[in-house]
Amino acid sequence: MALARSNVSVAQIGLCAYIRARFSSSSSPAIPCGAAGPEAAIASEHEIRAGLAQHLARLWRYGVVLSRQRDVADDLVQATCVRALERASQFAAGTRLDRWLFAILHSIWLNEVRSRRIRMGHGFVDPDVALVFDGERDAETHVLANQVLRQVSALPEAQRTAVFLAYVEGLSYREVADVLSVPIGTVMSRLAAARAKLAETAAADPVTHASKGGK
Amino acid sequence: MVDPDTNKMPSDELLVAFLDGELDAVERVRIDALIKTNDNVAERFDFLSRSELPFFEAFEPLLEHAPAARLESILNNLPAPGAAPIANGWRRRGFIAAAIGAVFAGVVADRALLSMRDPESTEVVDLGWRGVVAEYLALYTSDTLANLPGNEEFLSAQLSSVGSKLGLSLPVEAVTLPGIPLKRAQILQYDAKPLGQIVYLDPQYGPLALCIVQSSKAAKPPQTEQRRGMNVVFWSDGSHGFMLIGHNPPEQLSALTEKVRTALSV
Repeated sequence: MALARSNVSVAQIGLCAYIRARFSSSSSPAIPCGAAGPEAAIASEHEIRAGLAQHLARLWRYGVVLSRQRDVADDLVQATCVRALERASQFAAGTRLDRWLFAILHSIWLNEVRSRRIRMGHGFVDPDVALVFDGERDAETHVLANQVLRQVSALPEAQRTAVFLAYVEGLSYREVADVLSVPIGTVMSRLAAARAKLAETAAADPVTHASKGGK
Repeated sequence: MVDPDTNKMPSDELLVAFLDGELDAVERVRIDALIKTNDNVAERFDFLSRSELPFFEAFEPLLEHAPAARLESILNNLPAPGAAPIANGWRRRGFIAAAIGAVFAGVVADRALLSMRDPESTEVVDLGWRGVVAEYLALYTSDTLANLPGNEEFLSAQLSSVGSKLGLSLPVEAVTLPGIPLKRAQILQYDAKPLGQIVYLDPQYGPLALCIVQSSKAAKPPQTEQRRGMNVVFWSDGSHGFMLIGHNPPEQLSALTEKVRTALSV
């Protein structure tokens, strides 16, 4: 116990130095390091780290859905981890951590990765290639799964994202709107447009017309 | 007399929200009535319903193919933000630069997506645990559980111990099933990870168990299956995998599942 306490105090000193370093450029006086503030920050950083460990695969999958590329998904997860740890103190206790992490990943994609890609004139990947996988699953499931992946992958990004969050991750409309930082009406119109497109494809190709397992 | 307002064609948004169960009770009843009485609405609704695809299942293999070991090592190697503050901004820019860089190498690499296998993938909790639980529970008879004391204080202590091993709060009320006495909660082990087993004795159908493991897999709604002649409902909330198993009919198990899920998600 004594050992644990001494660790905490060392970490507090480190954090105080960090906070001073962060704010030293401003003219405001040094922020006093009271007992509650830094300890709470340390506790929440540990919680965020533990939560990140649980959600890595889901974050990666969301990264693949957004970018359609595994490598970019790896980097998106990495950047999300960094930012989530930096902002650990901003996470509102009692809310869903996975939703918060999705929102962070989405904003990194939108503001930093995707926009740079477009400016650099890099086209997007052929959707037929992107999400399709090859595993040792039974043939029928495999074909169906690949068809659904292909159809979703072919949707415009905004619709694809809404479909993924609502029907694969099972988020409510409200939660999708929060992750994407758009009004709920926008989520509704994206899902409606996506559904109409998917329904058209399904009408032409009845194999995929099966029950949804999302919610 | 037909009210023109209630009879007009609803938007695709409303029909889709109806499909998704996102409408409030009043709207739901209104749309439901429109679909039943208006052929045009019914036709549009049927058309949109064709988009009910197995999305959840289709995307699940992507989770299995996530480079779990690599992502874990990335996370584990990230220092605490307080540890090296000055490098933070640089490090992040480095990641983003790496992401941009990956785009150029990405297209060729992407063709490799066709074979998304990852030898490093280490998912400990797989479908196997439910099979093992079923094997184990198949050895139970009503007599196995008959003489266990049903002392609430005792059970509450057991549940709290099991919960702490699993990182889950398990108050007695949350796992109490109507008319089916709770008998024991204990920690077992599957694949070197804790497996919580909460057993009940149904007066009519015999032993019934709620089993819980930690799981990093995505949240998944309840599904049913049969194992060793017993009915199983299993689901996941994103941090734990659950299964309810017993000789009770599937409908009853599903109803009990809803009760437990609701109680545990509070």
